[in-house]
Amino acid sequence: MSKPWRGVLYAVLLIAALYYLLPLYVMLSTSLKTMDEIRAGNLLSLPGAISFDAWHKAWGTACTGIECSGLSGYFWNSVRMVIPAVLISTALGALNGYVLSKWRFRGSELAFAMLLFGLYIPFQVLLLPMAQTLGWFGLARSMAGLVFVHVVCGIAGTTLFFRNFYVGIPDELIKAARLDGAGFWRIFLRIVLPMSLPILMVTLIWQFTQIWNDFLFGLVFSSGESQPITVGLNNLANTSTSVKEYNVNMAAALIAALPTIAVYVLAGKYFVRGLAAGAVKG
Amino acid sequence: MSVTSRPAHYGFAEHWLPRLVLAPSFLLVLVFLYGFIAWNGALSFTASRLLPNYEWVGLAQYEALFASERWWVAVHNLFIFGVLFIGGAMAVGIVLAILLDQKIRLEGALRTIYLYPLALSFIVTGTAWGWMLNPGLGLEKLMHDWGYAGFSFDWLVNPDRSIYTIVIAGIWQSSGFVMALFLAGLRGIDDSIIKAAQIDGASLPRIYWRIILPAMRPVFFSTLMILAHIAIKSFDLVMALTGGGPGFSSDLPATFMYQMAFTRGQMGLGAASAMMMLVTVSAVVVPYLYSELRRSRHV
Amino acid sequence: MGALAIKNVTKRFGDTHILKGIDIHVDSGEFLILVGPSGCGKSTLMNIIAGLESPSGGEVHIADRIVNDVAPKDRDIAMVFQSYALYPTMNVRQNIAFGLETRGVPKKEQDEVIARVAKMLQMDHLLDRKPGQLSGGQRQRVAMGRALARNPKLFLFDEPLSNLDAKLRVEMRTEIKQLHHRLKTTIVYVTHDQIEAMTLGDKIAVMKDGVIQQFGSPQQIYDTPANLFVAGFIGSPSMNFIPAHLASEGGVIGVSLQSGDAACFAPLLDSQRYAAYVGKRVIVGVRPEQWDLAADGGGLACKINLTEPTGPDTIVFTQINGIEVQARLHPRDARSPGSVLHLRPDMSKAVLFDPETEIRIG
Repeated sequence: MSKPWRGVLYAVLLIAALYYLLPLYVMLSTSLKTMDEIRAGNLLSLPGAISFDAWHKAWGTACTGIECSGLSGYFWNSVRMVIPAVLISTALGALNGYVLSKWRFRGSELAFAMLLFGLYIPFQVLLLPMAQTLGWFGLARSMAGLVFVHVVCGIAGTTLFFRNFYVGIPDELIKAARLDGAGFWRIFLRIVLPMSLPILMVTLIWQFTQIWNDFLFGLVFSSGESQPITVGLNNLANTSTSVKEYNVNMAAALIAALPTIAVYVLAGKYFVRGLAAGAVKG
Repeated sequence: MSVTSRPAHYGFAEHWLPRLVLAPSFLLVLVFLYGFIAWNGALSFTASRLLPNYEWVGLAQYEALFASERWWVAVHNLFIFGVLFIGGAMAVGIVLAILLDQKIRLEGALRTIYLYPLALSFIVTGTAWGWMLNPGLGLEKLMHDWGYAGFSFDWLVNPDRSIYTIVIAGIWQSSGFVMALFLAGLRGIDDSIIKAAQIDGASLPRIYWRIILPAMRPVFFSTLMILAHIAIKSFDLVMALTGGGPGFSSDLPATFMYQMAFTRGQMGLGAASAMMMLVTVSAVVVPYLYSELRRSRHV
Repeated sequence: MGALAIKNVTKRFGDTHILKGIDIHVDSGEFLILVGPSGCGKSTLMNIIAGLESPSGGEVHIADRIVNDVAPKDRDIAMVFQSYALYPTMNVRQNIAFGLETRGVPKKEQDEVIARVAKMLQMDHLLDRKPGQLSGGQRQRVAMGRALARNPKLFLFDEPLSNLDAKLRVEMRTEIKQLHHRLKTTIVYVTHDQIEAMTLGDKIAVMKDGVIQQFGSPQQIYDTPANLFVAGFIGSPSMNFIPAHLASEGGVIGVSLQSGDAACFAPLLDSQRYAAYVGKRVIVGVRPEQWDLAADGGGLACKINLTEPTGPDTIVFTQINGIEVQARLHPRDARSPGSVLHLRPDMSKAVLFDPETEIRIG
């Protein structure tokens, strides 16, 4: 390719990069400004004196409806929700994938097909029956209920991830282990699981991002004490009681985004691999 | 050999353990996905309002749904959003993928930048774009500061335009994903085909148009499926950006369902709208999955 | 004592019959080869012997015990796989120890076994490496070591050499044969390579389409193949199949051969056994090395179409009775393409087949 064309090529790519980065820059600079500065300047203007007031307020004292104690409570709710939900759904997915790829039995293909369709179900059809069922079990608007919903809706995806990975492990390894006298659990723990590190990372990161970013279930199945950060952020940003404080909103949005961005930056390789694997999913 | 067989199993443990291990997940999915679909279907034929009420009313809720102006606004919006969002994200993503495929220095960094929005929650995206597009201090003020005094941008609060703000934010969030999938696909194409075409004297655009893009059909379809799925389920972005407003001008079926079922005490109507969403998704997904499963069986 | 007996074993998936009644008997210490083209059912049969698949019908006996319902680990067998199937996250030592460990062998004994096997296969220096750090040949060795660690009644080898390059394959073939001589164990060995079959086996079972076409010693199978398939499958280059009429000239039964304008009558030895076929069409099977140069100018004058020197021999290609025929000659006897050679088939070794049933006659 000729030189001028390559110049155009790089220009286009860099403009695209600016387009993707701009909202992040705007969020960050706005969050470091005071409201006066925001009114005086514009979207792109740099903060004059860096002020962390908006961050403090977003974390500790901003109003999210009637409460005015910031996002900190919501943040820790999300942490307490995401850990068990991710671990349980990943563990179940690993076991299911192992059975569906290496211990197939009559009917296991049908079970897999049912799981696969489960990936595409719009969750709206589950909301009403789930709300009622959680109520019967005394789990309505509780953290445990929310974790349960995330596990049920996550199983299909995690199973598919592990199943597709395990299909790539040669059956002869399992045969060799069986001839060596190992059974179902020993083969899983000693042979299969130690080989699973890549897919384990992919699944953990994928599930973490999905569950941390979920809004629908948080909105419908939790309240007050148990609401996750996405609901808190939405309440804070769309609260109509006072004048909109955009700096606080942006700080809050960044707080909600930090954990997933951190994961993306630290483990981007696995994140992208998860996307590719999730392409089968959706 | 092409014939697949199940391994032979011996004794109680080998026979029953796999079934036992799969059973909890299978039952959870059976009851809480498939059972609930049936239950939700049943609710859509009842007069349930604020609370479930199993008085059978036949298709009355569906009739009410199809007579509801708000529902048709939501469906119409989904159509607009779906076409523009899918088309826009595809176009941006494919172009970026092709450009990135030209042995670019800094490719890793650029890829990281294009893709990071996907790590964000739609609520974060919505909040950020809500601020940038707000008519007072956002883009409008920026353009005024830059000397375009007559510039006005009120889409966020204009009932005729509000749905387009969702399209803008949606494309920003998801086009990097399309880029990543297509780039992976481009990298999977056998280099020797391209070399052969070059030896035949084909120009680069021609090689892409005639050889590479046709070879990307499977990637194209799976990406289309994913974007369509995201579009139909879109809920968070609307809630964060416009809340469905002004009025209900930017409602989508997912927000309609939520409003009816959980804030307006129209449970039966909400259930019926959820069923319509399921039917729509199934109409797209079932043929796709069927062909995928058939193909994988023949490989 | 019978080390392995397979009695009327069948296997089908739905309507597909993979094995159609297999009978095999192997004595203790014998080296049995299962050979055939891919898809012939030999790997399925191997898996059934190992217990990794279950037969649809019939019985499998190992050491005079029916093992149909015995799990693989309790059959007292060890197996070497085509892909070696080494556990990738364990080093060589752990790979060998795994089977001992699951069987509750004490640690001290495990170490002794590992030392013995490592010495036998000369792989002491590999013990702490992971499979990913080994070459193909080394992996193959470790896979054999893992099988040797226990002293099973039966060794199963599933195409163990097919992933190696040609030179290594020949070396390992010799090594396996030496190992068998030394250990006197019973081995069942699956391959699609007829040279491996001929060089290694005490007995060969040639399979095709789920049926054993012939079961016998390598020489038997080579000299008196049961049918056209076996005759064509064993031996390289393949046996020539020359269509001909069986005729009687002055009480001597033979076939007439024609090449270009030349023709000759080749009488069969001990020919009365073919009497029933006189006047009928047959297929004459003559292996490439069963052609001699007729120094007296007799035989059949054949025009050479092509030659392929292999070093020790030269294969010459010619046309007889309308088909291409290959003859393996000493390089000094071969002539360049276009010239004429007088070739004479060794009819004492030729075999005849019925063109309808494809079965050997006489």
